[in-house]
Amino acid sequence: MGEEGTKGTVHLLCLAASSGVPLFCRSSRGGAPARQQLPFSVIGSLNGVHMFGQNLEVQLSSARTEDTTVVWKSFHDSITLIVLSSEEGTSELRLERLLQMVFGAMVLLVGLEELTNIRNVERLKKELRASYRLIDSFLGDSELIGDLTQCVDCVVPPEGTLLQEALSGFAEAAATAFGSLVVSGRVVAATESWWRLGTPEAVLLPWLVGSLPPQAARDYPVYLPHGSPTVPHRLLTLTLLPGLELCLLCGPRPPLSQLDPQLLDRWWQPVLDPLRACVPLGPRALPAGFPLHMDILGLLLLHLELKRCLFTVEPSADQEPSPEHRRRLLRAFYTLVTASHFPPEPGSPEEKVEDAAQRSQVPRACYLVSGPEGPGTGWRLVALQSGPRRLLLLSAQSPTHALRGLATHTLHALTPLL
Amino acid sequence: MARPPAPGSVIVPDWHESAEGKEYLACILRKNCRRVFGLLERPVLPPPVAIDTASYKIFVSGKSGVGKTALVAKLAGLEVPVAHHETTGIQTTVVFWPAKLQASDRVVMFRFEFWDCGESALKKFDHMLPTCKEKTDAFLFLFSFTDRASFEDLPGQLARVAGEAPGIVRMVIGSKFDQYMQTDVPERDLTAFRQAWKLPLLRVKSVPGRRLADGRTLDGRAGLADIAHVLNGLAEQLWYQDQVAAGLLPNTSENTPADPYSQPSGDPRQRAAPMS
Repeated sequence: MGEEGTKGTVHLLCLAASSGVPLFCRSSRGGAPARQQLPFSVIGSLNGVHMFGQNLEVQLSSARTEDTTVVWKSFHDSITLIVLSSEEGTSELRLERLLQMVFGAMVLLVGLEELTNIRNVERLKKELRASYRLIDSFLGDSELIGDLTQCVDCVVPPEGTLLQEALSGFAEAAATAFGSLVVSGRVVAATESWWRLGTPEAVLLPWLVGSLPPQAARDYPVYLPHGSPTVPHRLLTLTLLPGLELCLLCGPRPPLSQLDPQLLDRWWQPVLDPLRACVPLGPRALPAGFPLHMDILGLLLLHLELKRCLFTVEPSADQEPSPEHRRRLLRAFYTLVTASHFPPEPGSPEEKVEDAAQRSQVPRACYLVSGPEGPGTGWRLVALQSGPRRLLLLSAQSPTHALRGLATHTLHALTPLL
Repeated sequence: MARPPAPGSVIVPDWHESAEGKEYLACILRKNCRRVFGLLERPVLPPPVAIDTASYKIFVSGKSGVGKTALVAKLAGLEVPVAHHETTGIQTTVVFWPAKLQASDRVVMFRFEFWDCGESALKKFDHMLPTCKEKTDAFLFLFSFTDRASFEDLPGQLARVAGEAPGIVRMVIGSKFDQYMQTDVPERDLTAFRQAWKLPLLRVKSVPGRRLADGRTLDGRAGLADIAHVLNGLAEQLWYQDQVAAGLLPNTSENTPADPYSQPSGDPRQRAAPMS
């Protein structure tokens, strides 16, 4: 599992399936975007071996070398994505989901039609450049986890009802059903219809907003990979406060110019204080002063039916390990319990569906001690499944026998929030 | 369109460098960096110096790759993107700029809303150009000193984009002026263009702004000094246009414009709203 200071490299290759022409390559090293590129011959061989299998009706999905995991995936017989990762603790599950997110991001920004019916490779390459920023944010160390969990990263605002009312009212005034408030890539509040958006756009849209450079407002064409992959919609974003954006998804109307400062003031000035309280919430996810046991260093709470999650590594921020390390520990633990212990999540067709006999014996909790061996050392991780909720905790000191109690108690306290 | 006012006739040109100007600039800075304002926020001045705000929409137009997004980022004191890629859709940026009027010695807070739209989005989506042009107060036409075609495209741009709105402020800006070694647009062409079109023409450099001591954060004050001539130029044109529109100035006059607020009727277009 990931240690402090690991410098793994991730390479992502995108090729036109029929011609093998590389459309783009993106890399990250040690969690930050890197310029390093694979030699063309390596790209060719990686694509070649996948194509060779395909001609023999063999689906090559993944391979492992001593330090690298490779995953291939074709989309609509038109685009091949290949990812190579030498990050410690990486897994096929993580990489497969990464490729799904990457393809989702490509559809989001250029539309499915352009990707499945490639008429002009050079033009497609140019158009795909718009998606680099979003794709790079999946490859690097992100504060979010929706790319892996396929649930929407959320935060719980202190006065959620007030914001919810203002949002519904504003969305109605703007004649759209789809509205949300996003703080650094996480959803603070959203209208009913916004929550009903399918996967992956529900995860991709806030992520996109969080990855773009700051702008007062945008009128951004998006294709919804699940809901509307060929007809573009308009994503309107309005920066109410620095870091806090109001997002609307709409058709041809209203024009951006109609959402002027006067209209914004009318709806949002009355809730200015609750809005201000949301701005620092991003990495914290929970309202200030929410009682958490002092042993907890990080948590991930998922609601698998609502497809939302809360993820934070802020508690006891002054202690070891670093936030990046905590996130890596929890990500790796999530991958482990999801791939091998807990039942597959609803609505994830790519994973094996177990039969009913196995289902009766699925674990409800598991724990893991990571790091140096010996009594009283290493990081403790515990996962608990209860109904639609799944909680993962990272703790430093708790003795292993107390982990389950800690997790049960924490899940109980968090249940009203998600 | 009203003949553009002579530079420095409406706005006090170097006021932002005076002691008084620097005090006002403090409200758009924070710890020597440019402050970013949300749409619900405005710069706050201490109550005795509360001033009026005049808001304007400005559409930035120009051939793909001339540096529209980079120019707007520079005006807003934001990081200029390193690698070029086409802007997706429309993006708007708000820049506050306090300036002093020549005629009345009053300070006005200008609020510029820059509308920037990628060239291919304009072609691909029909609604974008009308939205950008709707109720715009000014057009900023950009060309690049390193791209001759972008300069030659200007008359076409002027006709296509601003053709139906002849009465509206139009300004031309040449970007990447610092790369004069590779300039594709010689001075004589600029002179000819100026004579033919009688439009204000400014130049901006594209070198990255000065950094603070930490070597990373952009120096807000130094950045403002680099772009003050553009913001003052815009403020001048727009303020002048408002007064002509309000009938406070004869359309062809070259006299020093009067301050509309010295009139009891105030500004009939109701641009200015009292601050907080």
